[in-house]
Amino acid sequence: MNIRSVSSVAILAAAGAMALVLSGCGERPQAVSYHQGSYSGKPDTPPYSDPPWNGNKQQWEDDMRQRVQNQNEYKRIGG
Amino acid sequence: MQLTRKSDPIRGVAPRIARAGARRIATMDRRSFLKRSGLAAGVGAFASQLPYGTMEKAQAADAPAGVKREVHRTVCTHCSVGCAIDAIVENGVWVRQEPVFDSPLNLGAHCAKGAAIREHGHGDHRLKTPMKLVDGKYQKISWDQAIKEVGDKLLAIRKESGPDAVFWVGSSKHSNEQSYLLRKFVSFFGTNNMDHQARICHSTTVSGVANTWGYGAMTNSYNDMGNTKCALYIGSNAAEAHPVSMLHMLHAKENGAKMIVADPRFTRTAAKADLYVRFRSGTDVAFLFGVLYHIFKNNWQDDKYIHDRVYGMDKVRDDVMAKWTPDKCEEVTGVPEAQVYKVAEMMAKNRPSTLVWCMGQTQHSIGNAFVRASCIVQLALGNIGVSGGGANIFRGHDNVQGATDIGPNPDSLPGYYGVAAGAWKHFAAVWNVDYEWIKKQFASQAMMEKPGMTVSRWIDGVLEKNDLIDQDSNLRAIVYWGHAPNSQSRGKEMVEAMKKLDLICVVDPYPSATAAMAAMVRKDGVYLLPACTQLETSGSVTASNRSLQWRERVIRPLFESQTDQAIMYAFSKKFGYDKEFVKNYEIWKPDGDAKFDEPTPESVLKEINRATWTIGYTGQSPERLKLHMKNMSTFNVKTLRAEGGPCNGDYFGMPWPCYGTPEIKHPGSPNLYQESRTMMDGGGCFRANFGIERDGVSLLAEDGSYPKGSEITTGYPEFDHVLMKKIGFWDELTDAEKKAAEGKNWKTDLSGGIQRVCMKHGVHFWGNAKARAVVWNFPDGIPQHREPIYSPRPDLVAKYPTHDDKMDFWRLPTLFKSVQDANVKDKIAEKFPIILTSGRLVEYEGGGEETRSNPWLAELRPDCFVQINPKDANDRGVKNGEYVWVKTATGAQLKVRATVTEAVGSGTAFVPFHFSGWWMGKDMLEFYPDGAHPIVRGEAVNTATTYGYDSVTMMQETKTTLCQVEKFTA
Amino acid sequence: MARMKFLCDAERCIECNGCVTACKQENEVPWGVNRRRVVTMNEGVPGQRAISVACMHCSDAPCMAVCPVDCFYHTDEGLVLHDKDMCIGCGYCFYACPFGAPQFPQEGAFGVRGKMDKCTFCAGGPEPDFSEAEFKQYGRNRLAEGKLPACAEMCSTKALLGGDGDMIADIYRDRVLRRGKGAEVWGWATAYKVPPGKGTPPPAAAGGSKS
Repeated sequence: MNIRSVSSVAILAAAGAMALVLSGCGERPQAVSYHQGSYSGKPDTPPYSDPPWNGNKQQWEDDMRQRVQNQNEYKRIGG
Repeated sequence: MQLTRKSDPIRGVAPRIARAGARRIATMDRRSFLKRSGLAAGVGAFASQLPYGTMEKAQAADAPAGVKREVHRTVCTHCSVGCAIDAIVENGVWVRQEPVFDSPLNLGAHCAKGAAIREHGHGDHRLKTPMKLVDGKYQKISWDQAIKEVGDKLLAIRKESGPDAVFWVGSSKHSNEQSYLLRKFVSFFGTNNMDHQARICHSTTVSGVANTWGYGAMTNSYNDMGNTKCALYIGSNAAEAHPVSMLHMLHAKENGAKMIVADPRFTRTAAKADLYVRFRSGTDVAFLFGVLYHIFKNNWQDDKYIHDRVYGMDKVRDDVMAKWTPDKCEEVTGVPEAQVYKVAEMMAKNRPSTLVWCMGQTQHSIGNAFVRASCIVQLALGNIGVSGGGANIFRGHDNVQGATDIGPNPDSLPGYYGVAAGAWKHFAAVWNVDYEWIKKQFASQAMMEKPGMTVSRWIDGVLEKNDLIDQDSNLRAIVYWGHAPNSQSRGKEMVEAMKKLDLICVVDPYPSATAAMAAMVRKDGVYLLPACTQLETSGSVTASNRSLQWRERVIRPLFESQTDQAIMYAFSKKFGYDKEFVKNYEIWKPDGDAKFDEPTPESVLKEINRATWTIGYTGQSPERLKLHMKNMSTFNVKTLRAEGGPCNGDYFGMPWPCYGTPEIKHPGSPNLYQESRTMMDGGGCFRANFGIERDGVSLLAEDGSYPKGSEITTGYPEFDHVLMKKIGFWDELTDAEKKAAEGKNWKTDLSGGIQRVCMKHGVHFWGNAKARAVVWNFPDGIPQHREPIYSPRPDLVAKYPTHDDKMDFWRLPTLFKSVQDANVKDKIAEKFPIILTSGRLVEYEGGGEETRSNPWLAELRPDCFVQINPKDANDRGVKNGEYVWVKTATGAQLKVRATVTEAVGSGTAFVPFHFSGWWMGKDMLEFYPDGAHPIVRGEAVNTATTYGYDSVTMMQETKTTLCQVEKFTA
Repeated sequence: MARMKFLCDAERCIECNGCVTACKQENEVPWGVNRRRVVTMNEGVPGQRAISVACMHCSDAPCMAVCPVDCFYHTDEGLVLHDKDMCIGCGYCFYACPFGAPQFPQEGAFGVRGKMDKCTFCAGGPEPDFSEAEFKQYGRNRLAEGKLPACAEMCSTKALLGGDGDMIADIYRDRVLRRGKGAEVWGWATAYKVPPGKGTPPPAAAGGSKS
């Protein structure tokens, strides 16, 4: 290699190294994205924790499925 | 499901996650700052800065063990659909409301008003104490002082000028028991000068429809509309006035039913229509008979039905075919032939079809003709007495049906008995009071038997020349008992009348616009008495479909309010007829000495059961009603019938007529005049109310047309003791029944024996007759189109003039032609070229002070407005949202916001009627009692509405007048 | 169980505002805050439709994504709730939400924007169930009582459905089949390349002729 090309290669390598160094120095990504699990407020209990379900999720879901039929008048009126 | 909390569920508090970072701590400081500046989330300082009162908020606070929690089932107090509500009360405070999915009428659904009704438990803007206008300001007084002063004044007026000098405006928001009691109370005061909202709502309906086939009520029900194949809504904005009724209609539509809406405005109801027809306000006869023209032309009418059950259709046909050809129909209504034809085709080819109407049809100077035209169309199509058909008349207020049936009507005692001597004697017997004594209370027997004035005209009772009114004295006092003033037309003249009166007394949970209007024009002589709402008392209420429901009391009367029955009883003591007034009732004090004593609603209903044989309010005892309210889920929603369960066989609410005593257990009549059902199954036929024959034509039903199961298979007249004897039913009466029924008919036989025996034979005791397409006792035997008093078309006034003036009509001279002619002469239609119509909004109800005091509703509608078409707006330089003046020929002007919309056609404008509290641009806040003003105030459209009354019932013509709209300038 | 969802059937909505006042009444929402609103399209002409909108409880909620203090969380039922004590009232969620769900009560002096308030699907918030703190801050906790949101349960024509997404889809599907067409308000013509109003007319007895 002649001296000129070595210089350009060196410059390129140096530039590349600089870029790598820069990207490693804590620059933050511009877009905001949500990371599940970083909520830091008060805890909340699930709706089925209270009586009469007392934690029985299955029963509560069943009851809710029943309850939603009140919004469907076809259950009472038919066609 | 309701959870009854017995104790406060203490949750273990999980450790709070430590906040990381200096940034977070800085944020927290700011948050703490916000917290410390006095603001809990969601409530707080701003709320208390608002002028909405500072009542403690009712909330489901952590209930310590032992809190008393109750659930009371009541019925919404707004419109006539009758949506049930479960009110949860803790320690006497109304904390929650839950939908009643079980109700067969509404299935848990509510509109904005029903969903917000719990606000009545706060009542921040209510009238809290009795008040008296002293030197222009309202001051608190005690109940004793109020009863004494008002009572003394009324007695003095009665002594000086006779009992007819007082006008009592009763209420369609009273329960059945209260409205019945008010009729009685005012009768004992000695006058028929009483009325209520039905006058200005469906009076034309009741009269027109009753004169067609017997009763003037909704023939089917909201639920039954689920069975229809096509519905024509004419003059009804059900999506805003009866929202939950749309549940049944939209369900039907989903299953193939068609929906037609005919209305000058493209309303929210029209938005759901398959076909929308825009026609000119006030031209219903032309439109309906234009439809009928096509029905006859294409032979779509039901000939057999007409032959068997209708009188006079041939005459109507001749009239219609000659007068309402498509060109003439279009000339008057503005509707092209193709559309009119389509309406006819849809109604004819999709039967059973139903016809729905509301104020759009009734509030006109010929409203009685409009409703009869609707009836005739349905008779021609054979749709009456058929499930899915009918004349579905949507009544307004929650108990306007009940108040119409048994309440303070000027021309009738409860039950449509009228005011002739026979009716008074019937009620004297029921009330256990001497007929002669009642007669002595009146100025004379003649006055006792003369229908009183109407609420639509009370102002003329004050202002008119004395020699022109048909009673001795002008009106000197008015008692507004549960009725707003801004729903009557001619507000500008109303304040003149208010100036002239000796006494104005308002009995209402809200001071109402009356208080403000009166304080604006006078300095004293006004009393405000706080009545409580229907949620603070119990009683029965009749929905539009004639079903009765029982309301349980939710909370005790708030503040110093009393129930209406307690107030009536207190005044009856003051007037000296308390013993007669409560003769047959139990008296109780549900709140101990804190409130007045009163008759129990149950004992009053039992007297109603014993009295009203005409319309069958006899079978709905308190016990049966309460059983229905507890077992709502057992009723089939489409048929309204209980299938099994404790109410097996009953129709929900035992829609009247529910004949016979409660022991007979008649199930009620869900669809009137339905011949496919037996009598004990709720079936019926048209009443024989009009005689046996006319001009040689029989008015009785033809042979072979009779209710199923009837032993008499031909037409027959009403039953009385003579007919009973002739037919051979008489000996089936018990001896006691014979004694009572001797000389009586099915309406006046207090034993109910005639009814009982007829029912055994499946025979309808009211007769089996034809409906009348020609009502010869009406101003127009066959409905005719007549231009409105304030018509935009002088050319059509010449062709279709209104009626002649009546010089003695409901005790007052009433002008028709002279006003219309003067309008033409003065070129009113040129100066005021826009048709002004008014109507309802979903957020508010009636006069509006009650609903505009509810912040949850008020927020949705803060301004009164005028809907104006873009062309009309641009012609006047008016932009959307700007203030404008709406001016009418009365000289009044209204300051409202312009809503520029295509919902109204060019040449029509709409202003809602629920507002009051502004007077021609000025806020009347200063005239209200402190703390008892509504949150939202606005112009009352009736400040500017004009003279015009129905030719049969004195209904006001508020749907059609003329106005000009101008940009607002101060 | 599927996520909890709302669905407003535009063919049935009559703009009665029952859902709006039901929410205000049930949660004692102050003046100026409207967790739920009715939106009208094509007002005054044929084709007028309305739907009721509150928080959509998105699976990938923009409000949650942008909140600088991470005060939002998802429940197992798919609801998006937040902790008002953490909320700083910055209004960024208000920017982000396409439906206008975040509301801000005007609180006190200086016109400061208070804590963000929004529809909770009547599931309360991160305070002990049924406590006064929960009611004051978040409104009612109907889910913990085995009930569904007040707005959906009180809708006048059962247009607004709220509950298990699976079940309300079923209810809606039944209606669509009977009608023979969709809502024709938005997207229908795009999706099916049919001009609005010109879909197949409802068959005379599609799955349910009346008795």
